Amino acid sequence: MTVKYQSQKIAQYFYTFAIVLFLVQVLVGIIAAVQFINPDIFILNFNTIRTLHINALVVWLLAGLMGATYYVVPEESETEVWSLPLAKLQFWATVAAIGAVVLGYIWMGLDPQANKTVMGTQLLNEGREYIEAPRWADALIVVSVLLFLFNMFMTMLKTKKWTGIQGVLLGGLVFLALMYLPGMFYTKNMIKDQFWWWWVIHLWVEGSWEVIAGALLAFMLMKTIGAKREVLEKWMYIEVGFVLFTGILGTGHHYYFIGTPSYWKWVGGIFSSLEPVPLLLMVWDAFRTTREARNVTNKAGLFYTVAHAIFNFVGAGLWGIIHTLPQVNQWTHGTQITTAHGHLAFYGAYVLLVISMIYVTMPAIRGVTTYNQSRAYLAFWWMTISMVFIVLTITGAGMVQVYMERLMGLDYEAVKTVYNMWFWIIRAIFGVGFLIGTAIFVYDFFKIGKEPAPALAPAEQKA
Amino acid sequence: MTNKAARNLFIFGSLFFFVIFLGLTVDTMNQIDGRAPEITKDVDAGKMVWQKYDCIGCHTILGNGSYFAPDMTKIVEQKPAGYLKQFLMDPRGVNPKAAMPKLGISSQEADQLLAFLTWISKVDTNGWPPKPILAAAASVAGQPQSRGQQVYQSQGCSACHSIKGIGGTSGPDLTKVGANGKDAEWHVKHLKDPHSVNPKSAMPAYGGVPEADLKELAAYLVTLK
Ligand code: HEC
Ligand code: HEC
Ligand code: HEM
Ligand code: HEM
Ligand SMILES: [Fe+2]
Repeated sequence: MTVKYQSQKIAQYFYTFAIVLFLVQVLVGIIAAVQFINPDIFILNFNTIRTLHINALVVWLLAGLMGATYYVVPEESETEVWSLPLAKLQFWATVAAIGAVVLGYIWMGLDPQANKTVMGTQLLNEGREYIEAPRWADALIVVSVLLFLFNMFMTMLKTKKWTGIQGVLLGGLVFLALMYLPGMFYTKNMIKDQFWWWWVIHLWVEGSWEVIAGALLAFMLMKTIGAKREVLEKWMYIEVGFVLFTGILGTGHHYYFIGTPSYWKWVGGIFSSLEPVPLLLMVWDAFRTTREARNVTNKAGLFYTVAHAIFNFVGAGLWGIIHTLPQVNQWTHGTQITTAHGHLAFYGAYVLLVISMIYVTMPAIRGVTTYNQSRAYLAFWWMTISMVFIVLTITGAGMVQVYMERLMGLDYEAVKTVYNMWFWIIRAIFGVGFLIGTAIFVYDFFKIGKEPAPALAPAEQKA
Repeated sequence: MTNKAARNLFIFGSLFFFVIFLGLTVDTMNQIDGRAPEITKDVDAGKMVWQKYDCIGCHTILGNGSYFAPDMTKIVEQKPAGYLKQFLMDPRGVNPKAAMPKLGISSQEADQLLAFLTWISKVDTNGWPPKPILAAAASVAGQPQSRGQQVYQSQGCSACHSIKGIGGTSGPDLTKVGANGKDAEWHVKHLKDPHSVNPKSAMPAYGGVPEADLKELAAYLVTLK
């Protein structure tokens, strides 16, 4: 098996960049975890390390999704990418812009005064969580995304095969690009600042990204199992429809206590409680389709796909719904419970999504039908077990924090440095376990299809 | 349901909910200004300083941000401004055990930050953060208190000091303060004007508290051994 269109191989550039950043993200994550135990362990302060951790995360997931799109659109449109040189330019420009932003963060970390205010905006770090990238970088990112979307649309226009999968995928990407804009202007009022900030953060992870995930889930089930497009696409529409019906007004679950009117408690409480429903539907969809499976060659690809659906539901759905009602959220808002949910949701929904896409598409990109899949499973278990324990640990820390600080009124610092110390230590240890899993995965990525594969059973050879 | 019907449901349903969301957004924007005091030049400058130093990379504000350091929404109600200013400019000069690094905040920037934090504390947050509901229960169940203990409580010393693990960490732990050789007289002097015994002190002065109460308080402090 090999790719149908040579230009699909461009996906590999983006995957490689994604994986390098993944490794960086996990490494700095461990430093951040150790800073909870000893704040002065590293030359860069916690805020810089954390900024690197979450920015690396978001950027590598986006790079991975872009790579996946460069693979999917030609496949669905049945034609080469409109312009391969443009795709390469977009890739290298993105790498350069991200590199500059990272250097800026480190510079500001070493010397906070370097973060000067120029024309009403900060030069190196905007000081807003997740969207720390300065305004000039925002502009570059927008240009890069526009080039990418333009290239994809032109590809689709070449053959005008409007399949449901690529329609929803591109729709999700356009929504994603639009939702970057509300984070790009300064507001004097901190309430408005946070109001628009949540448009970016929430409408990304619980809106556009989840729409993209729905489309890619259908694509991966089709590729690994050979399931029927008709059925997959129908359920895909229903799933992503429910994602947006609940997720858009579900934004209200961030507007309970930030100075916004209290009707958001009703709107956010009701709609966000329904957000797990489409995620459960995706799990059901994955199982239903998998039951039809015959002669699956890329078992690891399918395995990751199903795991993604399950952990999307557990991390986003279950760990989300526990703190989404205003009556609960007033106690848990801004505690370690939020961190626990943030980790499991991002891991289950998007880390596993990108890794699944890599395992589903890489064999074809490397021109092999089968490959040594044992390391894929090994990496999965190291990463997943470590992540589950990180999350359980931090959920424990969150429960102690909510009880002692929020309910009993003990001092924040006292709870953090005394009562929760063991939780920090255990998290750091499982962080190393996660790093081992990541390293196995990174190694495997470079090895896929480049070493002798196990012999195929005769039935599989035909498929 | 046909695929086409499912697709249309997805597209038009999503648009429908987005339009409602936009409507609520417009209404919210109209209400927000009335839910907080006016934004002065200093408040705005303070917000810029907040962003310049990436305070949100360690702290939360209105409950959003990072969970490495305490929430800043009500900090000006918890600690006096003089202390906060000194802390912002040099955390470890105030509290050698502070985890917050010295960021190079100037005196003017500290004032602007405080203006911003004062503004934030007045935002109508629908009652967040709620009062700790178990704290009342714990104090009812507590021991009958001496006069000195009552002054300690009513003056809010525990916002900064802790005794036997209860209280804040901004000032030194007082669990064994009676064992450091300082007598009641020294304590009264220190309480009235901390600078008189420690020129770099960031502790607020309690000169306005009746002398008799300060004496009771000092008498209580020397018993902590
Ligand atoms: C590297 C992390 C970090 C950064 C950046 C940071 N802080 Fe802190 N801050 C802390 C920690 C941790 C504490 C808790 C007390 C301690 O141990 O230092 C704290 C405490 C405080 C306190 C309360 C002190 C007390 O005694 O209650 C204030 C006020 C404060 N910070 C304001 C700010 C402001 C304003 C900024 C941005 C200019 C900022 N911090 C940036 C980590 C940080
Ligand atoms: C805003 C924070 C703050 C508040 C409120 C506060 N203190 Fe302090 N306190 C400090 C700081 C900072 C120090 C260390 C500097 C110094 O010695 O003055 C300190 C020092 C002390 C010391 C000396 C401890 C030693 O080991 O030398 C005593 C005793 C003390 N405080 C008692 C009190 C009492 C009693 C109250 C309530 C009336 C109180 N403090 C309120 C911040 C505070
Ligand atoms: C894949 C989807 C999701 C991802 C990646 C995700 C991620 C996150 C992250 C990172 C935060 C913290 C943001 C911050 O820094 O303040 C957060 C907050 C929150 N999430 Fe999610 N989330 C997802 C889905 C959901 C769902 C489905 C629900 C509800 C059912 C939910 C409920 C919440 C709530 C209530 C908060 C606010 C916590 C607080 O008050 O501190 N999330 N989410
Ligand atoms: C792929 C795996 C990971 C993902 C998806 C991830 C994601 C995140 C996210 C979304 C946040 C922001 C949380 C929030 O605002 O609620 C965060 C913070 C953090 N992460 Fe990770 N992370 C991962 C791996 C790790 C590892 C291995 C460690 C080390 C043990 C780690 C340690 C931390 C720490 C210490 C913070 C700061 C939390 C706080 O402010 O209290 N992360 N991570
Ligand atoms: Fe959300």
